[in-house]
Amino acid sequence: MSSSLARIPPGVQYIFDAEVKLRRRIERTVMSVFEGWSYSEIILPIFDYADLFALGMGKEQAEMTYRFTGQDGKLLALRPEMTSLVARTVATRFRQRKPPIRLSYSGEVFRWNEPRNGRQYEFHQIGLEHIGSQRLEADTEVLVVAVEVLREVGLKDFTITLGHVGFFNGIVERLSLDENQRREMRELIDRKENDQLDNFLKPFTDAATRTSFCRLTTLVGKREVIQEARALVSNSTSSSAVDDLENVYKIAEEIGIDGHIDIDLGDAAGLDYYTGLTFKIFAAGLGSALGRGGRYDQLLSNFGVPAPAVGFSICLDWLAGLLASKADGKLIPDPRERTMLEAGSDLVATFRQASKLRAAGKAVEIT
Amino acid sequence: MTAMPELTIAIAKGRLQDDALNLFRRVGISIADESLVSRKLLVIDSSGLFSFLLVKPADVPVYVEYGVADLGVCGRDVLMESSADVHEPLDLGFGRCRLVVAGKPDVTALGYDPVVTARVATKYPRVAADYFQRRGVPVEIIMLSGSVELASVLGLAGCIVDLVETGRTLQDNGLVVIDTIAWSTARLIVNRASYHLKRAAVAGIINSLRAVITQRDPETIVA
Repeated sequence: MSSSLARIPPGVQYIFDAEVKLRRRIERTVMSVFEGWSYSEIILPIFDYADLFALGMGKEQAEMTYRFTGQDGKLLALRPEMTSLVARTVATRFRQRKPPIRLSYSGEVFRWNEPRNGRQYEFHQIGLEHIGSQRLEADTEVLVVAVEVLREVGLKDFTITLGHVGFFNGIVERLSLDENQRREMRELIDRKENDQLDNFLKPFTDAATRTSFCRLTTLVGKREVIQEARALVSNSTSSSAVDDLENVYKIAEEIGIDGHIDIDLGDAAGLDYYTGLTFKIFAAGLGSALGRGGRYDQLLSNFGVPAPAVGFSICLDWLAGLLASKADGKLIPDPRERTMLEAGSDLVATFRQASKLRAAGKAVEIT
Repeated sequence: MTAMPELTIAIAKGRLQDDALNLFRRVGISIADESLVSRKLLVIDSSGLFSFLLVKPADVPVYVEYGVADLGVCGRDVLMESSADVHEPLDLGFGRCRLVVAGKPDVTALGYDPVVTARVATKYPRVAADYFQRRGVPVEIIMLSGSVELASVLGLAGCIVDLVETGRTLQDNGLVVIDTIAWSTARLIVNRASYHLKRAAVAGIINSLRAVITQRDPETIVA
């Protein structure tokens, strides 16, 4: 009995004491930054129709959900992400609102996906969506908010890599690849497997193109990357992607956040979903991206209301893990002083005194 | 206190270890012989800039994915099995071998029956299951940690999925290759965050290793 009671299903966690305080404080800090940029919080249901997530994230992602049948016999799923829910809300309930619509969220998501790197089946996402603007200032805003969030929570050593799917698409359009080939190529680029990529491309293009293509996928760095990219591509889709990157980067330089930003032209991970600028957040001490974001102009039309959108999210579990390991993090909660009160025999007196102390903002503990 | 090492490199012990350390030596990163013979698991190179972890091959992608090591050297076979989320920027060329399905000659002649469950013994459960499932063959995986050939010889499994370098062990035990699943060579893998956060140091190593590899006589790379 006692051993089965102690058993916890794999992939979930109980969190208590200092860790809870840290997480709540991070959450408050992040949400107040979002509020400061006029994002209003939306509270979303824990589960919704399974179809909805397939519509939003594609069948493959939707297969990673926890599904069950509702009383009406319809298939439901625990939310594997928030963006589909936000998009559906905007498409159905916010049609009259004047764009851009700025929304933020914070909550647990559930994915039946092999736990990796300390992430469980259940994890906490905090993020925002900027919907209804296709202008570059929306992308820039989201990037700038992300930097502010990371600075506010006390993270110092972090890099945001900035990419653009258009850059890649412009080159791929000229190769005649079917869907499977595109996926294979994207995986090779994502893993930076250059030798394999070169091999893969042999049937499709000449050696000179292959060499410059492989060079492009490893182009990472500051402003110099933009120059080099311009020298290597000439098609209009790629060129306008480079223009976007340059314009955003220029603003980042002017407002002094470019130290945290790298341009990464080899970021091909979210190519099915994202349609423009993309970014990933990396922090020292964490093996994979802490958060990611980008432009997804296609998604809203899946819900019947075409609208451009850009957003990002971070994983609270990872952020909390990082900050807990850094003693200098400014979010480490300071232990509050508390007054100990003995319950004694006169409970009225005890609680009267306790209430007085509470009214004065003091912490009490009745022993 | 001396300066902290800039990068941590995980090396697969065993088959690939000597070639891997030689390769690093050729780009000027070397560890003293006495450190190697000692039982230390973490050794610093002579410049003090790099620390090496010598770990079991299957653990290399784990250390790298979690960012405990920034770089790693292990076989493609190990990477396929682990499906670790890492960058894989360089084929180092050495340690060439292949992952095969093998069995007794009579099994080979019969091929797989798509309605009969194939019993497969292997150290590569994920790769093996994927191979058979893709072909629509129901599969039962028997996970072993060594001498996999024996499973086929003694009839524990109809066939095996294993790594083959020269084919000698198979031959000596009367087994033949049924199909090649994939070729494998040693790969350099890089943690996704280190790739960006330690960009200069990581790119420096990748470039100098690439330069050394491409110098090599091409016959040692192309089979």
